[in-house]
Amino acid sequence: MSFFDGLKFRKISSPIHNLDPRVKFIYACVIFVVAIIFWELIPLIGLFLIQIPLVQIARVRKEWARSMRGAAILALIIFFTNLIFSFLGAGSTFRISFLEYALAMMLRFLVLVEAFSIFFLTTSPDHLGLALEQSRVPYEFCFAFTTAIRFVPVLAGEAQTIIDAQKARGLELEKGSFFKRVRNYIPILIPLIVSAIRRSLELAEAMESRAWGAVKKRTNLYELKFKAGDYILGAVALSILAISIYVRLCLKVPTIEELLAFLISKI
Amino acid sequence: MPIIETKNLTYTYPSATKPSIKNVTIKIEKGEFVLVTGPSGCGKTTLCRCFNGLIPHFYQGKLEGEITVAGLRVPDHPTYELAKHVGMVFQNPENQLFALSVEKDVAFGLENLGIPREEIRKRVDWALKLTGIYHLKERAPHELSGGQQQRVAIASVIAMQPEVIVLDEPTSFLDPLGAQKIFEVIYELNRQLGLTVVLVEHRLDLTAKYANHLIVMNNGEVVLDGDPRKILEYEEPQLMGVGIPKVTRLYKLLKADGIKLGSLLPLSPKELADEIRSVLKRDD
Repeated sequence: MSFFDGLKFRKISSPIHNLDPRVKFIYACVIFVVAIIFWELIPLIGLFLIQIPLVQIARVRKEWARSMRGAAILALIIFFTNLIFSFLGAGSTFRISFLEYALAMMLRFLVLVEAFSIFFLTTSPDHLGLALEQSRVPYEFCFAFTTAIRFVPVLAGEAQTIIDAQKARGLELEKGSFFKRVRNYIPILIPLIVSAIRRSLELAEAMESRAWGAVKKRTNLYELKFKAGDYILGAVALSILAISIYVRLCLKVPTIEELLAFLISKI
Repeated sequence: MPIIETKNLTYTYPSATKPSIKNVTIKIEKGEFVLVTGPSGCGKTTLCRCFNGLIPHFYQGKLEGEITVAGLRVPDHPTYELAKHVGMVFQNPENQLFALSVEKDVAFGLENLGIPREEIRKRVDWALKLTGIYHLKERAPHELSGGQQQRVAIASVIAMQPEVIVLDEPTSFLDPLGAQKIFEVIYELNRQLGLTVVLVEHRLDLTAKYANHLIVMNNGEVVLDGDPRKILEYEEPQLMGVGIPKVTRLYKLLKADGIKLGSLLPLSPKELADEIRSVLKRDD
């Protein structure tokens, strides 16, 4: 659960929050691509550290830390799986490079979580819907997206009411085997679905009454425009991508083991 | 010319065997504050749905008779066209707000109509100020109280600048104080903008004093139609289970006891108090 908490948006204002979601998304994708093209530890450490200032500027350190903690278990699983398989693959012999490789794979995963958690933590669903709309996604889809988000708290409240009502009638949720427990939720789900369908009809009625579909090209109260900050982040993202591709293709990335060996030989 | 006119309007829902409203013939003039009342299931909501074309366009079913709203024959014009003339506010405030902020919600209808951005901005601010929720414009709908949500719904309808606003039991999910506030907002709109109001409500205690036209329905038919002070004088509404205002009932009881009160039927506590005071003065 805590992992998803790390993706939950909280309304605050910061330079990062005010950036265009499209640029932030491109940035997250660039980080994603760069994390995939490197399997050495050094660039991944760099990639991980490069994003921390963004977290600081956006003032989402606490939420970010929570999402990283949530990702920790999965990261450890990745680490040990890689370690064990390299160990077995090499005929049960251990080398320092295995450790480094496993660490790199773990860090790659953390970098991905980090990038997308920054994106979701600093982008309001409203902005996201607007960005979708301006990226020429049909309005019906954008509307479905924002409405879905709008009704999450409403449905959650309703589910709680139904649970309380059914418990008051003697329904026991936390009893029996795993399958029994899943079955216990049927009396919760059916009323919830029925009421959601009823709600959707009322919504449709209200939409009709507010001239839904009156004109082909609808207008919007807000418009996303690129500002100075958006150009800066865009430029940063593209330069990270360009440099990474150059390094990947033309240079040899040393492992830490090699780097240490090189440094020692110098001394 | 009346803004809403129906002649022998009869409507049957697609899956129903008998009509929900029968032979409804009413006239609503521009600028009136119309109160529609009657016991549950008497067809009030169905009648409202006819006003903005949800019936027959959204619900289908069989519509007979004539209905013209703002000079448009309802069956010939789609709901989105009628929406420019008739604003509709529903019972449950939660299910008529779609956006993630109040401001966006009020803008929703205008955006659908393809109105230019600057004009939307102007009208949204105007509607928010008129309903007294300008300070909430950045908030999400689920953070608001029911009364505030319902005011957002009213603002979003007003922003489209319709000639008629139809409210279908807008306060049944609200506490009395929130309801009172909603009625005051509606009355102000009626008074200041000359907006025609059609309010469906069975709490006449709170609303009768605003109305200058009362329609009482029962079993899908209009039984009484006219000046509220005249209609509430009859015994019929009370017999049908319409909750007539307590002051009106008290007035009738006092009158039956032989106290000589004025001939004007009071609809608010203030009116009755004034009359009793004048009687006491006379006796002194």
